[in-house]
Amino acid sequence: MTQMVDERVANMPPPADAAEGVSNRIISPTRLMWWKFKKHKLAVASGIFLILAYLATIFAGFVSPYDPASRSNNLYAPPQGIHFKDAEGNFHLQPFVYGYEMTRDLDTLRPVYTTDTDEIYPLRLFVQGESYRLFGLFDADIHLFGVEDGYVHLAGTDDFGRDMLSRLVYGAQISLSVGIISVLLSLVLGLVIGGISGLYGGMIDSFIQRVIEAIIAIPTIPLWLGLAAAVPRDWPPVYQYFAILAVLSLISWTSTARVARGRFLALREQDFVTAAKVYGASQPRIIRKHLVPNLMSYVIVTLTLAVPNIIIGETALSFLGVGLKPPTVSWGVLLQEAQSVQIVQFYPWIWIGPALCVILVVLAFNFVGDGARDAADPFSR
Amino acid sequence: MSEHTTQTATPILSVRQLKKHYGGKKPLFGPAPNPLRAVDGISFDVIEGETFGIVGESGCGKTTLGRCIARALEPTDGQMLYRPKDEKEPVDLARLKGKALRPYRLDVQMIFQDPISSLNPRMTLLDIIGEPMIVNGLAKGAEVKRRVGELLERVGLRADHMSRYPHAFSGGQRQRIGIARALALNPRVIVCDEPVSALDVSVQAQILNLLQDLQTEQNLTYLFIAHDLGVVEYLCDRVAVMYVGEIVELSDTERLFDKPLHPYTEALMSAVPEANPYSVRQPKILEGDLANAVNRPDGCHFHPRCSYCVNRCRTEEPQLRELEPGRWVRCHRAEELSLSGASDTLVEGVEA
Repeated sequence: MTQMVDERVANMPPPADAAEGVSNRIISPTRLMWWKFKKHKLAVASGIFLILAYLATIFAGFVSPYDPASRSNNLYAPPQGIHFKDAEGNFHLQPFVYGYEMTRDLDTLRPVYTTDTDEIYPLRLFVQGESYRLFGLFDADIHLFGVEDGYVHLAGTDDFGRDMLSRLVYGAQISLSVGIISVLLSLVLGLVIGGISGLYGGMIDSFIQRVIEAIIAIPTIPLWLGLAAAVPRDWPPVYQYFAILAVLSLISWTSTARVARGRFLALREQDFVTAAKVYGASQPRIIRKHLVPNLMSYVIVTLTLAVPNIIIGETALSFLGVGLKPPTVSWGVLLQEAQSVQIVQFYPWIWIGPALCVILVVLAFNFVGDGARDAADPFSR
Repeated sequence: MSEHTTQTATPILSVRQLKKHYGGKKPLFGPAPNPLRAVDGISFDVIEGETFGIVGESGCGKTTLGRCIARALEPTDGQMLYRPKDEKEPVDLARLKGKALRPYRLDVQMIFQDPISSLNPRMTLLDIIGEPMIVNGLAKGAEVKRRVGELLERVGLRADHMSRYPHAFSGGQRQRIGIARALALNPRVIVCDEPVSALDVSVQAQILNLLQDLQTEQNLTYLFIAHDLGVVEYLCDRVAVMYVGEIVELSDTERLFDKPLHPYTEALMSAVPEANPYSVRQPKILEGDLANAVNRPDGCHFHPRCSYCVNRCRTEEPQLRELEPGRWVRCHRAEELSLSGASDTLVEGVEA
């Protein structure tokens, strides 16, 4: 109901030049943007998807049925299907998975799995399973879903019999957080450097712009490779993670800096800034009250569109073996498996899972960024 | 050049040889380029309580002049002698900077042309109109709120509009908000930079009337920059006509519109569209574009476009001289020419 009222107010024509022509609702510019964003259905759906994905990474231990490192006897097992009807045609209200039966192909010694329709493992919500630490603080052993006896591998298992679904969820912790943190780093760098460039102009501006051009001109992947290769191999995983973060943001700040500079240059010439100068507002005050608030929406849009690049960057580095290394789990690390022809050919679930995750998240970020850009554009109606 | 005033009253603002040049710095190699002379040696006096009009084509430097006077820009050279309220001695606003300038900033405020870009879209009216007071320590907290409410009512809006954002208002209302912001510091001089050119004609009249009412209430002095001669004739006491950074004619409004002395003024007036279907007047359409402010023509800067041009105009640069008391013109042939003003053409039209 309130939404309907909101839309009516948003679509109202501007009031005439009379004091009483103004509607009684107070609508902030942020609100107007939110309404415009809501009209972009794909962006809203992508936004919800991303929120769920990030929630899953926060509660990774709870969402994933197993520990990403725990091994089982089912090596290279394909994904199990979820069933409601059993082999005899009886309908079960509770979904279940069938167990595996493994045989070896005597020519190639490859494990061949067939479903064993006699073994039925019903899926349950909130089952007790392997213990994990939530947020690294609380010990817990309740999982979102699982089976009480037997096993469930909805996305299959890898060469050590580790559950791929659990590995994907834990991998998302690294892959998704790399995007956000490194984008925040480049936000700070880009705002400060781009701001200085746009505000002071002249020699400083030329210098900063030439440096940015030089950085952009270097092909990204070789530069990343070079920098990432310089990270010592014997560092603990956490250090390596932050080193990779720094490497990734070292390049992505340049686009933010350019947007910030462009907006500063444009805003500097706006009459409301001249007015502030004329009534004696100090330079820091003008920056804080007049420039930065008007610039943020644009910066947020560039950042949203920059996240996918970072995620792909991390994936690429790890895939090439210079990013993160096993036992750390990230989507890039998981994709390393796709370097083996055997896996590409016979065990596709091992690489399709992480590849699909990367594609979906990158697409979702792009849709959200698109919607945000349209919403922040004052000229779109 | 001496005082360009007829009145004996002491001027509130005396502009002397004001210049604003852009560029022209010597580069690392080669000779220095010619600077862009946006404002080049302008002098005039403004009397307290009058409306001083500045007209000219786009690009003639009138906006730059206005921004120099409000000190949004720093003049390259020249003086702007301002006589503060309680002090006998005038201060030169062109020389002051930073802290020293601050007390006088309160007295000279500005109204802008573009009702969209002149208001910060991220601030409420309370913030927009209240900020000048807060920045200058004139009011705090509830006092700001009270005074913003008063100002809004004085410019014809409602006090309860103060929590709204500018996007909720129309062009005319936004211009009223801009006026309220300019009034927030109780200024004595307001530079109005084409305050009505972006508005509908019906709204223009309302804003002009508001400006007039405020002027009588608060004894304001206006520097009114415009290109619409109708608005200038309606509002201004005296008018300066600018061409490529210089004043070519300065006169009281009545005599200027009756019988201009400079061919450029005549051309401007004949370009005003007329609401008389019987008029058969031939508008004097200027040929060519506004002279380039970087490489100006020799002699009189207007001569390539002037239909009265003689050889002297091409070589010798005319000076601004007082032809009649209070009427200044920059033209060699001002005495011999008999130019038609705005009312002339109107009379001809009626007769025909």
